[in-house]
Amino acid sequence: MKKPLVHLESASTGYHADTVLRDVDFSVYPEDFIGIIGPNGGGKTTMIKLILGLQPLFSGKLHFPAGRPRMGYLPQASQVDRSFPITVKELVSSGMKTRKAWVPFLSASQKSRLASMLGEAGLSGYAGKPIGELSGGQLQKALLCRALIDEPQLLILDEPNTHVDKQFEQELYQWLQELNKSMAILLVSHDIGTISPIIKSIACVNETLHYHPSNQLSEEVLKVYNCPVDVIAHGPVPHRVLKSHDHE
Amino acid sequence: MSEFFSIFQYQFFQHALAAAVLTSVIAAMVGTYIVSRKIVFIGGGITHASFGGIGLAYYMGLNPFAGAAVFGILTALGIEWISDKGKVREDSAIAILWSLGMALGIIFVFMTPGYTPNLMSFLFGNILTVSLTDIRVLLAYAILLIILFGIFYRPILYTAFDPEFARTKGIPVARYRYMMSVVMALAIVLSIRTVGIILVLSMFTIPQITAMLFTRNFSLVMPLAALWGVIGSIAGILMAYVLDIPTSAAIIFFLTMQFLILKGILLIRNHILRK
Repeated sequence: MKKPLVHLESASTGYHADTVLRDVDFSVYPEDFIGIIGPNGGGKTTMIKLILGLQPLFSGKLHFPAGRPRMGYLPQASQVDRSFPITVKELVSSGMKTRKAWVPFLSASQKSRLASMLGEAGLSGYAGKPIGELSGGQLQKALLCRALIDEPQLLILDEPNTHVDKQFEQELYQWLQELNKSMAILLVSHDIGTISPIIKSIACVNETLHYHPSNQLSEEVLKVYNCPVDVIAHGPVPHRVLKSHDHE
Repeated sequence: MSEFFSIFQYQFFQHALAAAVLTSVIAAMVGTYIVSRKIVFIGGGITHASFGGIGLAYYMGLNPFAGAAVFGILTALGIEWISDKGKVREDSAIAILWSLGMALGIIFVFMTPGYTPNLMSFLFGNILTVSLTDIRVLLAYAILLIILFGIFYRPILYTAFDPEFARTKGIPVARYRYMMSVVMALAIVLSIRTVGIILVLSMFTIPQITAMLFTRNFSLVMPLAALWGVIGSIAGILMAYVLDIPTSAAIIFFLTMQFLILKGILLIRNHILRK
């Protein structure tokens, strides 16, 4: 059996003295495509930040049984400052991990990788443009290129479908399904309905984690885990989202 | 007319022009970082806290700019640490250090026996009294910054834009942020000589936002900000000479006018193009 890329064992984390997530047991295998769902404030982003090494581990263990994997990260769109004077080319190249980050120029192979990445995403014509000139979908593509340029073994996406139109969302999901052939994917979303057709399994995060080894998440199953679902509609498309709830 | 040009023969005026050019270059590089990271308020905190160092140095009979540098660096590192740890609201901490620095400066200057230093020259600067040594220090720092930004351009940019993502790529974000805090503090303190505490922040913001009217590319904003800074400060010095008004105020006035005029021209051009 393949070793997991990431393994969390009774892991707890939080901010300052407040524990946001407790007793999380979770593994990510190379072929996984896991949807991480849960109510707002339930700890979805905190959990992926723990895996990325951005959050301190309060207790428990975080293992990388096959060595620390290369990880690609696409943060929430609201975290990105679109007014910052950085070009698309610079943004994408910032995803290249190198021990010599201080070397001022990209190598020939890095330049060629950058050009092919931008070409694949249809962003070649925007390479020298500032990110502020991109549409919401184009910016997400650029951020996805940044996450992918290092050829990650684990791709982590935090709400990639916000601030994008439905057409781009479909394009993004097709792209992710293709990428899942060569890498594991963790996809954070508050909308179960739109991601369930593409993911292979579900992790419900609300102060702790409940893993569902299927992409089908019925209301009954969620009730077993004490995760009630609400159907909400803002705009034309109704969403199935988790209600705010406790696991006491 | 020949009377106007005769001013260029005087050494103090040549020094003033050199200081204006070098301060503009220093402020362009560091100010682009400050404006891009939206930390102008931190720059204000460093600037005003450094007055405490000036006061203490006077009281102890030391070089006031050495005192300003120590206070400026400690304030900058302190703000970055507070921001990093997030235990105290960053804006509140800046406001405390800002006013504490000014208060300490006034107390120490007041307590200094005998000679009372001319506070106005620190608060508003006096570019016409810049010495050759000052110019050498400014030149050395400008060269150091060009080398620093040349070598560390990518990590400085990446850690300023998205520090969390930079951490996931193994870039030592805290190390670069603290380094830039020291760079900022020294740049601000060295520029106080030219335009003074009250006005120095303008040199680190107005040319940059003027440059950003034309480009949103970090590597192009820096030289363009230097250009607008040089034009604005030289024009300000000349205006001060012609109208016999304080030089630092004239520089800031000219930089602001330059921004407003260019902004106005671009708005009119865009309006015409839309029709």
